Amino acid sequence: MTAPVLEVRAISKSFPGVKALDNVSFEIRKGEVVGLIGENGAGKSTLLKILNGVYQADEGAILIDGQQVTVDSPRHAFDSGIAMVFQEQSVLNTLTVAENIFLGREQEFVRFGLISRRAMNAAARKELAKVHLDTDPATPCARLTFAQRQMVEIAKALSLDTRIDKHITILLDEPTSVLESREVDLLFSIVRDLRDRASVVFISHRLEEVLELCDRIYVMRDGKIVAETPAKGTTVKELHTHMVGRQLHHEYYRESRQAKPGDTVVLEAKGLARHGAFSDVSFALRKGEVLGVAGVIGSGREDLARCLAGHLSPDAGTLSLKGKPVRLRGPGDAVSNGIGLVPAERKVEGLVGPFSVSENMTLPALSRFAPSGVIRFAEENETARGWIKRLNIKTPSTETMVGSLSGGNQQKVVLAKWRVAGVDVLILDHPTRGIDVGAKEDVYELIRDMTADGLAIVLLGDTLDEVIGVSSRILVMRDGKVQAQFDAPAAAKPTQVEIVGHMV
Amino acid sequence: MNRFDLQTWLPAIVLGVLVAAISVYDRGFLAPSNLITITGDTMTLFLMASGLTFVIMLGSIDLSVQAIASMASCIMAVYISRYGIVAVPFALLGGALAGAFSAIVSTRMRIPTFISTLAVSGVVLSFGYWFSDTRSVNIPAADRDMWLFWITGSFAGIPGEIWVGLVALLVLSALLQLSPFGRLVRGVGAQEQAVVASGINVDRVKFFAYVLSGFMAALAGVVMGARLGSGSPTLANEFLLPAIAAVVVGGTAITGGVGSVWRTFIGALIIQVVRIGMTFVGISVFAQQIVFGALLVAAVAITMDRSKVLVVK
Amino acid sequence: MTAGSARTSASAERLRQWAPLLVLAGLCVLIGFFNTNFYSFGNLVRLLNSAAIPIVLCMGATFIILMGSIDLSVEGVVALCAVIASLLVANDVNQVAIGLAAVPVALALGGAMGFANGWLHIKLKTPSFMTTLGMGFVGLGIATAILAGLTVRISDQTFRYLSLGRVFGIPMAVWIALASFIVAYVIQERTRFGRWIYAIGTDEVTARQAGIPIERTRILAFTLAGVFAGMAGVLAAAQFGQGCALIANGRLFTTVAAIVVGGTALSGGVGSVVNSVIGVLIVVVLANGMVLMGIQPYVQQGVQGLLIIAAVALALDRSRLAVVK
Repeated sequence: MTAPVLEVRAISKSFPGVKALDNVSFEIRKGEVVGLIGENGAGKSTLLKILNGVYQADEGAILIDGQQVTVDSPRHAFDSGIAMVFQEQSVLNTLTVAENIFLGREQEFVRFGLISRRAMNAAARKELAKVHLDTDPATPCARLTFAQRQMVEIAKALSLDTRIDKHITILLDEPTSVLESREVDLLFSIVRDLRDRASVVFISHRLEEVLELCDRIYVMRDGKIVAETPAKGTTVKELHTHMVGRQLHHEYYRESRQAKPGDTVVLEAKGLARHGAFSDVSFALRKGEVLGVAGVIGSGREDLARCLAGHLSPDAGTLSLKGKPVRLRGPGDAVSNGIGLVPAERKVEGLVGPFSVSENMTLPALSRFAPSGVIRFAEENETARGWIKRLNIKTPSTETMVGSLSGGNQQKVVLAKWRVAGVDVLILDHPTRGIDVGAKEDVYELIRDMTADGLAIVLLGDTLDEVIGVSSRILVMRDGKVQAQFDAPAAAKPTQVEIVGHMV
Repeated sequence: MNRFDLQTWLPAIVLGVLVAAISVYDRGFLAPSNLITITGDTMTLFLMASGLTFVIMLGSIDLSVQAIASMASCIMAVYISRYGIVAVPFALLGGALAGAFSAIVSTRMRIPTFISTLAVSGVVLSFGYWFSDTRSVNIPAADRDMWLFWITGSFAGIPGEIWVGLVALLVLSALLQLSPFGRLVRGVGAQEQAVVASGINVDRVKFFAYVLSGFMAALAGVVMGARLGSGSPTLANEFLLPAIAAVVVGGTAITGGVGSVWRTFIGALIIQVVRIGMTFVGISVFAQQIVFGALLVAAVAITMDRSKVLVVK
Repeated sequence: MTAGSARTSASAERLRQWAPLLVLAGLCVLIGFFNTNFYSFGNLVRLLNSAAIPIVLCMGATFIILMGSIDLSVEGVVALCAVIASLLVANDVNQVAIGLAAVPVALALGGAMGFANGWLHIKLKTPSFMTTLGMGFVGLGIATAILAGLTVRISDQTFRYLSLGRVFGIPMAVWIALASFIVAYVIQERTRFGRWIYAIGTDEVTARQAGIPIERTRILAFTLAGVFAGMAGVLAAAQFGQGCALIANGRLFTTVAAIVVGGTALSGGVGSVVNSVIGVLIVVVLANGMVLMGIQPYVQQGVQGLLIIAAVALALDRSRLAVVK
């Protein structure tokens, strides 16, 4: 066995409210292609971003060729022989292909203070040949297709090869999700060709691809590495088993309080589609029901949720509320039709941070508290106090700035806001993200309260376990399509492995 | 919390210190008649800045206020001898329309407000020239006494313009503190996306804020015209900087969400007292823009909330 | 995004690139149709002459807008540089007469003010429109204060030659504008600084990750804009034979109008100094045409205002802006 070229020792990284990486160690050997898989939020991207210098680890060390190094910026990582191809493309559309490849490193082409375009384009042509992209390096990137830009991004990473005499490591964060199968094959052949000069870390949700391309696979879950296995002899099924987490006790999700959904259909979607996000989504949401939507990033479920809440418009299909077709031209339309959104980005879309608890709670229904044009502060405060008590929100007073509350209590204020507005349908987009365990249980409790009060809920859960535990029915989405539907009554929940098989 | 408190009270403290410092040099400064004169002189600036306060609290800007004030003075001066008092609401309407135009341009076409209002100020300026036929238009004394006594006259020993300013202060403060509109203005400035996601029509909130800003700028122009006895397309030139400075020096942050009409009142008084103080110290009238320019940048830097802007452009 | 939509946006982008030139050609044809004097040599020279100062100003200001920022201080910088230049050459206020040596002094002064703009904007982390607004007033204030509101007359004919002198029948001012354009174009196309400005304007976060020194580049861009504004001040003083605080009145407006009409996007990253030259010509031809058609000059600012709105509305890629303030 060869010595590792890149090694990560006991790295930990926390973000407010979450431990993204917990004591993670792994290594990459010379010429090796290493796969990194796991559910959303397992910590894969965070790990790569630490290797690439976008984030800095709180604890632990990075070693290159056995020597400890600090990587404090992507540029620094680049100079140390680590290049990353980002999930969200970092190609600048206003610059040419050649300029993108050598962005920030133009010095090598400067003659008498001026950039020699000819030298730069010639060098770029060499890099483009490595990815078999036959494009004029002087073309602005805006004129390329998405896949071509992805190839430019890869060429940019590969340009390290001839510029550094160290062994290089290339980090590929879901590079195949936007590529056609022919382009994927090309990428794979490029990666295989690279082996004598470089090591590669490959993140993908497509497990077949990971098994095909990689020598060794690390599986991550909840910020930890839970398994390491050679690719040879491993099956997709085995990987699924590694990926899914512990099964929490039923009562964690208050399953005993899971109500049988009513008969009235509140919200119905027929053939809903949005270009580039999802297509042909149909479902009927009943009173008192929790409809869980499972899927990885790129499955289209986030955009689906935003379409249901009026933040995005679908291109095709119909949406009906209590049997009447509706068109939501904005969040305002959704709210006046009784649909509320609890967004994933609580501090951006959920709450007005400098507003008080009561001001936030009454925001969607503000005109109701000011029939004469003057806000009735006493009535407003009384309503707020009622919900603070009912939802057990820990706040010094109704006047407290909401931004100073804990994450869990903030989320309860968001829920209270929609209860005050009296919505019938609530879209919960990662309602337990970034809040502590106790507060999570409170949120589950509140979801049960809401369904008991007749609300219908669409849930995009933080983990698969949460989706299964909380929902009464589950839609599984992959690549913008509904792959499967599961009934999830309290006593007979589907297993995670069953569902994961449709997700990835 | 401390920083927050300090920011609330700092403007008032600054005003107190400035007044105390000047009264040491000039014993007559604190005489009631002198204080009334100073307050009266501050009112046009305050009126203009009071409407602007709403726009700045949105996190936006209105660079068209001085052009609107000038145009309003022209409309008023041209039409007062023909139509009497109707000329005043006509002038105010002109200001409100200009504000509405700015709002529509920036919300519908999604143009940053420092550009849309700059562009609108050009249009408004042209209208000012058009109304006045590029001249300065005199307001006959008889018309002034008959229709504009509420500005130029005096009630209970206090000049009319101060009453106008006080009414504006009370009405706009109530609007900001007590009405849903005021709260939404604050909300849009503090966290626009959250207000949008709550189903509020944010474009409408912005529309009314700009209409108010245009209206108050026009009122400032009317008061200015009445005081000077004439309207002119360049009457309010040199007023944009002090108006923005008054709002920001009063403690309203240009990043939006924080501020009040009261603070702008204090801010306008600070600007006026600084002006007087500079004359005392012997700084030429011409150099005052320098001080205000520097004051503006300093006050912006102190009050703005940097956590809100990831990339400063 | 799929391949198809990428291609449509590319062709839309190409149309956008050519639109300003088409507008300029259309205007020329239209005005020439109504008034044949438009194409006379005299009128064309007059056109180029009135385009000279705006072109010089726009060369620097374009870099600022390409970064997604704005420079509202142009009037203050131009006025102060014009006044200082006037006071340094033979004039009717003081005995100083350093002749053409006043030019580098004015450029350095403009550069210093631009540097102050950039430095305050970066170090205080205040938005550029506020910093430059304040700085603009400071410049105007100093210009007014130095002359106590009066005007200084220039008697140095060599200095005035910078604007009025003719080479091959074309005023010096036009040649200087041409030189400024060439300098700006080379900076934009062939220097690292020029390319970094595009990178910053397109996506500052990515640019920072690529190791581009954002703060230094930004400050340098503002400094450069100040130098060009200083040159514009020199040309204004030479052209009018005087210096006063009001000399730059309306310049900000023309500059912003010309840049956005030329097709440079306020959101940054898209555009070029070539676009700005075309933009200046559009604005100047339009003004010239209005004069030829007997339209009152005061209408011009209004028309320019509407032009700004129309051009921004047509050019802006709205999908990029989540929140517009």
